[in-house]
Formats: sequence, C-alpha cells, structure tokens
Amino acid sequence: MHNRFGIKDFLVVVLLLAILGTQWLSMIQRDRQWPVLQSVAEQVRSLDDRMATIEARLAKGVPMSPSAAVPSDSRATLPAHDESWARPGVPVNWQPEPSFSNDPSKVPGFKVGGEWVEVFEGQPQKLVPYLYADVYGNRVLDRVCEGLGAFDPKTMQLVGVLADAWQIDPDGRWIRVHINPRAKFSDGHPVTAEDVRWTYEDFILNENIEADRTRSIVADVLDGVKVIEERTIEFGFKDALFSNILMALGEPILPKHYYAQFEPAQINQATGLLMGSGPFMMEQRAASPSELASQWTPGNDVVLVRNPNWWVGRAPIERQRFKVIKDDLARLVAYDNNEASMVLPTSPQFNALLRDRADFEKTNYALKWVNMRSGYSFIAWQCGPRGETGKLTPFSDVRVRKAMTLLLDREKMIRDIWDGIGLVAKGPFNPESPASDPSLSPLPFDPPAGMELLKAAGWIDRNQDGLLENDKGEKFGFEYTYATGGEISERIARFVADSYRKAGIEVTTRPIDWARYQDLLKSRDFDAITLAWSANSPESDPRQTYHSESMAKGRDNFSQWSSPEADTLIEKGRRTMDPATRMLVWHELERVIADGQPYTFIRVAPWLRLIKRDFGNVRMYKTGLSPEEYFFVGPTSSAAPGT
Amino acid sequence: MLPYISRRLLFMIPTLIGMTLMVYLLIALAPGGFSASASAAAGGGSPAGGDPRIAEAKFRDRFLLDEPVLVQYGRWLTRVFPVKFGARAQIDSTGERIYPPAELPPMLAVAEWGNAASIVRVNEACAVAAGAFVAAESGDPRRAQFRQLTREAKAAREAYVGALAHLRIALAEYATATQQEVLVDHRGELPGSQLGGLRLDAASPAWPAVSKSAATAGEAFVRASAARAALEASFESTPFEQAGVGIIPGVLSIGSPDLGWSRTKNRPVGSLILEALPITLLINVVAFPLIYLVSIPTGMLAAARRGSLFDVISGGVFIALWSIPVVWAGVLAVGFLASNQYLGLFPVAGLHATESSSMAFLPHFGAEGFERGWLLDLGWHLVLPVVCLVYAGFAVLSRQTRAAMLDNFNADYVRTAKAKGVSRRDIVLRHVFRNSLLPLITMFVSIFPAMLSGSVVVEKIFSVPGMGSLMLEAISLHDAEIMLANTVMIGCVSLMALLLADILYALADPRVSYA
Repeated sequence: MHNRFGIKDFLVVVLLLAILGTQWLSMIQRDRQWPVLQSVAEQVRSLDDRMATIEARLAKGVPMSPSAAVPSDSRATLPAHDESWARPGVPVNWQPEPSFSNDPSKVPGFKVGGEWVEVFEGQPQKLVPYLYADVYGNRVLDRVCEGLGAFDPKTMQLVGVLADAWQIDPDGRWIRVHINPRAKFSDGHPVTAEDVRWTYEDFILNENIEADRTRSIVADVLDGVKVIEERTIEFGFKDALFSNILMALGEPILPKHYYAQFEPAQINQATGLLMGSGPFMMEQRAASPSELASQWTPGNDVVLVRNPNWWVGRAPIERQRFKVIKDDLARLVAYDNNEASMVLPTSPQFNALLRDRADFEKTNYALKWVNMRSGYSFIAWQCGPRGETGKLTPFSDVRVRKAMTLLLDREKMIRDIWDGIGLVAKGPFNPESPASDPSLSPLPFDPPAGMELLKAAGWIDRNQDGLLENDKGEKFGFEYTYATGGEISERIARFVADSYRKAGIEVTTRPIDWARYQDLLKSRDFDAITLAWSANSPESDPRQTYHSESMAKGRDNFSQWSSPEADTLIEKGRRTMDPATRMLVWHELERVIADGQPYTFIRVAPWLRLIKRDFGNVRMYKTGLSPEEYFFVGPTSSAAPGT
Repeated sequence: MLPYISRRLLFMIPTLIGMTLMVYLLIALAPGGFSASASAAAGGGSPAGGDPRIAEAKFRDRFLLDEPVLVQYGRWLTRVFPVKFGARAQIDSTGERIYPPAELPPMLAVAEWGNAASIVRVNEACAVAAGAFVAAESGDPRRAQFRQLTREAKAAREAYVGALAHLRIALAEYATATQQEVLVDHRGELPGSQLGGLRLDAASPAWPAVSKSAATAGEAFVRASAARAALEASFESTPFEQAGVGIIPGVLSIGSPDLGWSRTKNRPVGSLILEALPITLLINVVAFPLIYLVSIPTGMLAAARRGSLFDVISGGVFIALWSIPVVWAGVLAVGFLASNQYLGLFPVAGLHATESSSMAFLPHFGAEGFERGWLLDLGWHLVLPVVCLVYAGFAVLSRQTRAAMLDNFNADYVRTAKAKGVSRRDIVLRHVFRNSLLPLITMFVSIFPAMLSGSVVVEKIFSVPGMGSLMLEAISLHDAEIMLANTVMIGCVSLMALLLADILYALADPRVSYA
C-alpha cells in the first residue's frame, strides 16, 4: 500500500505541470514581445529619417507652412497642362486634384490621433484584393487601396483619384489614362502605368491566381492594356459600352513591386497581403515572402494604421480597428460599452434606442440615409415558362403582375417588418442616383384597382368559394420562394402570403437554402422569388437583368421578362458615353420597367449607423461614409453634429 | 492486449471510409449537390457575353463536377488517405500539394471528322510538346517554367472545354433540325452516350455548323493535349519538393492527408481548422475539468447523504440549470453581466481585450495599480463562454455519479467492509467511488469528440471563432471540403476515444480483459 499513487503525489505532479505550463506560457510571452520591439525600432528609424529630412530642409531655408508653399494653387493657375501623352484630336478630361470632401482640419475642435473601431457581423477570411470572398474584405480594402477613379461623395460624378486626366474614345473603344505624378503607394514607390498593366494582365487575368470573380467580368470586355509611357496607360475594349469606363477606372490598383515578389500560390493562400495607395495601411505587413507568417490572419482584429505617405493628405485618425462580433445584441452592448466607435444596428434596435433613451443623440450620431450603396428588395415574377415543367405562370400577363403590386401594401410591410425604416422602391435604380427619375413614383396600394385588373385578365371568383379562377376553372395559385435562415425573410413570406390570400389567391411558401438559390434562378424553377440587390455604384448595366437576350437559361434575366421597348432603350443607354444623355435614357427605361412590373419592388434599405460623438467631421455622403476624414475629439467633448 | 488494439486499429480504416462515403453521398444527393458551394463562391452573376451554357461547362470542368460521384469520392479519398498510389504529389512554397495535371475530357469520337488522324496528331503534338520541354537547371527558373506552363495549360484546357460544349450544343441543334429523337440533357447538350444513335448526314443543311464546330474542337483538343503534355513533362522534372515518403518509386508512397481547398472561403481547409481548433480546445480544456470538479464531488456527497437537504437542493438546482436554454442564458449574460448599462462585469465578445497585445503577461502591480496582464485578460474573457458551456453539464454527470454510487452502496462488499469496521470515509472514497468509475469513463468518451466540434450557440453569442462556427458556416454554404475534413477529424477522434475507453475499462476493472 505504501507505493500507491496518493493525493500528495498527485499534488506534486500537478504543481510540476503548472510550473512547466507557466514556463511555456512565459516563453510565448517573450515571443509576443519580439514583433513589438522590432516595430518600435523600425518606427524610431523612420522618425530619425524624417527628422533628418526636415533638418536638411530647415538648413536650406524652405518655407515650412503649407500655405506658403502653394504648390496646389500654382497648379490651378498654370496656363496649360502638358498633353504630350494624349492621343491627338481627342479632348483631354482633366480632373481636379483629389482631396478631402470636407477638410477636417478646418472643422473646429480638430485633433490628430486616436483610434476608430468598427464591428463586423461575420469573420472576414481574406484581405487580399480581388481574392476576398465577403463584404468585410471590401470594407477594409476601400480604406487601403485606390482605383484610378471613384465617385465623388457629393456629386456622384466619376472623378479621378490616381488618374489626373483621361481621354475617352468618342466611339467608346478605348480610354487613355494619365496617372497623377504625385501618386505613390504606402511604401513610397510611385504609382506607374506598369502597375496598372500588371494589376490587370498579370493579376486579374492570371489563371494561376484565384481571382475568378473579377476575371470573368474583365476578360469579357477588356481587349488589352497598353503602357504608353511611364504614367500613361491605355485600355482597349472589345465593345463600346459605358460600363467599360467604370470597370477600367474603378478597380483598385496594386503595387507590382510588392505583389510580384510572391508566387501565385502564395497569393492564393494569403490572408492579409494588402497594400495600396490609400489613406490607411495594414499594421501587420508581410514585406517579403520570408515574412508571410507576420501577415494578418482571421481570428485577430484587423488593424489599419495611418499611411504616413498618403499622397492626398493626412488622415487625422491614427488607427482603425475592425472587430468581429456575430451576435446582434452583443454588438450593440459592445458599442454601448465604448468598445466600438461605429455599429450597424438593426432597424428595431435603431428605433428602440432613439425612443427609450432621451439623451442618446447627445453622445451618439444616429444616422439614417439612403445612398448609392443602399440596396433594394423585390419579388420577381416568372413572366416566362417555369423551369422544367415549361408551364406558363399567371404572371405572364402584365395585368396580373401590376395587380400583384397593387395588392401588396408595401408601406405597411415596411412599418411592420422593418420598424418603419425604409422607402417603397419604385425601380431598379437607386432613388439617390441620377439614373432614377425623381418624378416617377411607385405604384400605390390599391386593392380595388388590382382586383379590377385581375378581372380583366380573366381571374374572377366564379364559384363563390372565395378563390379566383380563370375561364377554364383553374384556381389562381402560386409558389412563393424565399431563402431560409432569416427572421425577416420569414416575416416577409407570411405578409406576402396573407396579402394575396385575402384577394383570393392561393399562396404556398417554399423556403430554400441560400446555397441553392443560384441554381434555382438559373433553372427558372420558380413562380415568384424574393431577393435583394445591393449596389456599389450609382448605375449598373441593366442588360444582364432586363434585356430579353439575357433570358437564355443560365443568364440573369431570371424572371424572363421581355420587352422590345426596354431592349432598345438598354442597347441605346449602354452605348451612350455621355453620362447626362445616358441618364435620360435610364429615366425612360425606369418607366418601361415600372409599366412592365417584372418585379414588385418592395423596399430601398437606408443605411443605419450609430457613431460615437467622440468623433468629428462625421458626414453622410451619397457614396456612404468617409472615415478617413474623421478626427477623434475625445470622450468628453460634444462636437458639432454632422450634416 | 496488443493484438486486440491492433485489430481495433485496422477496423478503423473501413469504418472511416464508410463514414466519409456516407457523408459524401449525402452531400452529393442534397439539392444543389457539390456545385452549390462552387456557384455560391463564384458570387452568382454570369458573364455578360457568350453562351451561358459554355460558361457553365467551363465552370463545371474547373471543379471537375462532371465526373460520377464515386469517381469524385475516390479522388477525394486518395488525397486524404495517408497511403498514396501513383506519382507523388509535390509541395509548393506554401505547403499546398500540386498533383499531376488532370486528364482532359475525351473528344467526341466520330469517324467522319477524321478522328483517327486526329488521335495520331494528338499523340504527335504531345510528343513534340513533351520533347520540346527542357527543364531549367534547377530551383527558381524551373518553378517559373512550371507556373508559366500551368497558366498556358489552364487556358488551353478552358478553350477546349468551351469548344467541346459548343460542339455538343451544335449536335443537339443538328438533331432537332434533322428531326432525330435523341436524349438531350437539361442543359440542352447532347450527352456523349447519345452520339452512337445519331444519324450523321453530311448533306443536311444543318451539317456545316456541326462540322465547323467539330473542327474547332478538334484543334482545341490537340492544343490542350500538347499543353498538358508539356506541363506533365515539367511536373516530372520535379520543380518542387516531393510530398511524403516514397516506398516504391512512382507506385506507392506515404504522405500526410491533404484536406483540400474551401471554395466558399477561398482558403485551404487545413489552415482553417488549424485556426479554429486551438480556440475550441482552449475553451473546452477549461470547461470540462470544471464540470467534473463540480459534479463528481456533489454527486458523491448526494449519494452518501441520500435524501438529505443537500441531496434535494443540489439535484433541484442542477436540473433547473440543465433546463435553461443556452441561447437565452447567453443573451441574458451579455445583456446584464456584460453591458455597462447594468453590471458591466465582463467583456462582451472575443478572447482578448483590444490592448491585450501591449499587456504584460502575468498580473502585477504597475504604475496605475493592479494590471491584469495578458493571461488574466484571457481568463476574464473566457468566464462567460465557459459558464454558458458548463452549467448544463452539471446535472447529467452528478446524477450519473450519484446513481452509480448508490448502486454500490447496496452491494455486499460494502456491508462486509462496514462489518469489518472500515471507516465510512474509506468506504466512500476507496471502495464505492472506485467501483463507480466505469459509467464516468463511458461519459468521458462521449464528451471527447464534442470537445473538438465546439459549441455553435456559445461561439456565436460570444463571437468566438472556433470549430462550431466554422462548421455552421460550412453547412449553410454547402462547403463540402470543410464538412468532409471535419467528418474525418471527428471520426478519427471518436474511434480513438472508444478504443481508449475500452483500454481504460481494463485498467479500472480487473474483471475486464481482452486477451
């Protein structure tokens, strides 16, 4: 009995293990300190360098104040730009120098420094341009990378960012772009035409890199990218379309000297290889293939730091952090606990906060506005033969489709389902976009008119059973398809089914896995399906969804709506290079679509954002938000409210 | 004992194969099948130009979706199975495997198209391409060569697959035009098996379209075969290090499993699991001992004082806890314990505070009083998730212990011990408890795989990026690769745990033996 393993022995073993454990943990801790020490050393070095430059400048007697230097003012008064790079005979479109839309340094209370914390609702997997697979990747990318052009936050016109001028072929077959000579990447390398060519030809179009999503779009329209001289590049297009210009100017430009040192396989596998010319840059950088281990990986906060070399100006905020909190309530609590600067509330959360806390807006901005990125939700009606059965649905009759819209009280839907937040949608174009005609209003909720239309189409309650029948005695019934997994979509389904049952229409609901939605849309195997589109720019090519040629199986006109009038307008619009004329065409198209009602447009979803008043210069733009303009005021101050 | 263990280990192989085959078939038979995750990953939307059927064919070829399910399963199994046959894969700089280039889909063989000649031409072209390939000296140039050839072979293959789809469509249209009844599949193409039944009439006005398309496809086939041959030659020059250990060169080798590439996340499955698993393990390694430390003593005490106030209260409390849904408890914990509006005692989400990377490691007293340090910060973040994981587990384990102990209290040997005058303490701890261990071992075995799979609800509420959330996302997006990798992992662990339980039985109870 003496050599048995007793409690004392057990305690000794546990103690030993604990000592070994702490030893091991402290070794981990040592390791954690290394990168910090190294980055501190690096910062000291770069500060030293900058000090040396400043001292050298001082010694030369260069004026220190930016207003005294006047490089930008003199540029404006220059008699003429150098246009030797341009094709002769085609007008050059010079762009204003990029700058803040609203200069933060002119706002009272301006300060430099501080940290901005945003919350993601899901885990981003990859922060590599063109390879990321979720919206979060896009949100980070927007702060780090720049394209040749972008939409102006105030006017929504396409303006130059990296490009300071361009020439567009009057026939729309090419665009020649001149890159701003001041533009440089965050490591100080200038942005050149070769970087642009490399981004398109050796990154996006490289079969070894998993950028299929962008590649399929670019390969379809791009007909070569030519370097003309160091800062001039020319895109050729296979067809003359307005969307080519957006494609050529909108995609982020990558630094070749950085990405080319990695093999395609390394880029495919990377999680945080992100570098660009924008206002912020990744804190964790892998400068070369040997440092791949130091890149950002999922599970950690994404941290961006101010790009000290940003060629446009200087973002006031020092760091931007992105956390992941998946639960709705936890997200709001974290925001309340001051662990986040901005949060995207749900509609009920937004209203409840404003209602229950009288002083909420004293310490928070509660922003609600429709901008170019606001999406819309709709029900698509099957206008052609349904999928494999090939049977025509009742919705092949335009009167029925119109009646369906008239019978659905969308205002009430928005009130009941989204807590009153949202606008009734009227068509495919965002109401804030110039492509949408402000004089057009959505079809009203008018059940008598709807019943009248159904009667005209032959759907009458013939045997007094409360249900509609046609002259062959067939009942009016349809299947309503929606995606599983969301409380909102369940409630929409119930509301839609109830509304139509009241009118004597039989509705069966059919919940479908989101992963199967694509297949279902492609095979047209549905009567009515609900979806939401989101937008990234004020206009997109309507050909994919509304042209009768896109009705072929597999393409995106899944409601199989065909209208010769719409086809003509679409063809005309997408070949009109002048934006103002094109908008008039889109206005007309919007009317034709409203007349044809292939979709019942339900709701335009405004952006909802809660932002702490610890930040200044917070403004709602037509393009969204511009966090690079914000500055940190400090928790005690109450800054002037944004407009 | 050893023969028994090795027999059990060998039986695991067919069991695992059966399990994965089941899961594979389930995924394949589910609506949408394997293409669902791929098309979800492609983000929807079809290219604006060209025939969508051709784009679809290219897409299906890219992910090799046209092969029969069992062939696909076989390919997956050879990747995962540690014993490999045939040419060894190579490992690129990122640790991913590179396999020999895949076979091309066969060209539709019809004598009228001069296919016999074209087979000769294909062989010729392949021989020329392979012969023309000269491997660079070594190292980087050879790898660059391989990458360039991969790019070319991919482009050529895509062109060929497109041309082939075009030919199938042309044939289907020809069949309709000449009013022949053949089966056309749901994509409006002619399946290869139907070709034999098709009457080919060169005089028909619909024929030129077919022959033109066939000529294009033939050319594309020759080019794609040549590009593939060149790539194969480059592959054989081993630009990268070979994977695994060779047993018989070119025939048999042993290598680690390749878990594949997640299409929805666009990342290797192996690294996804390596990120999620430690987090889940960390939480469970804290949680499970806690359950055992609380419920076993309570169960013992309740059994020893059966019917006492303690027995009733502990039983009641545990059952009450057990019946609280985790979703509700988690939300309440976040709303009241974590919110600064109420108590604000604990952090809301995640495993580390924002500033934790600049913290010292151990708690200490610094310039600003007590600083909790990195380790304590982690513990502090773990409190709520761990509490939510454990509270429901108390009831089952403590009731189990109590029941097992009560059984033994009534046994003869206890009466004998009492009669001998053994102290009550010794009876409970040395005799009854040791004999009540068997059911606890069984419980532990069933808990072990659960430790790896993580808790979906807790992970979502507290934003913990563990295995539970990974699996949940994989299932909702039909990501087959992640689901299968997880099945293999959980399967292996479960089988090992069962074996471990059997061994532990033998150790705990001398009556059990596997001789």
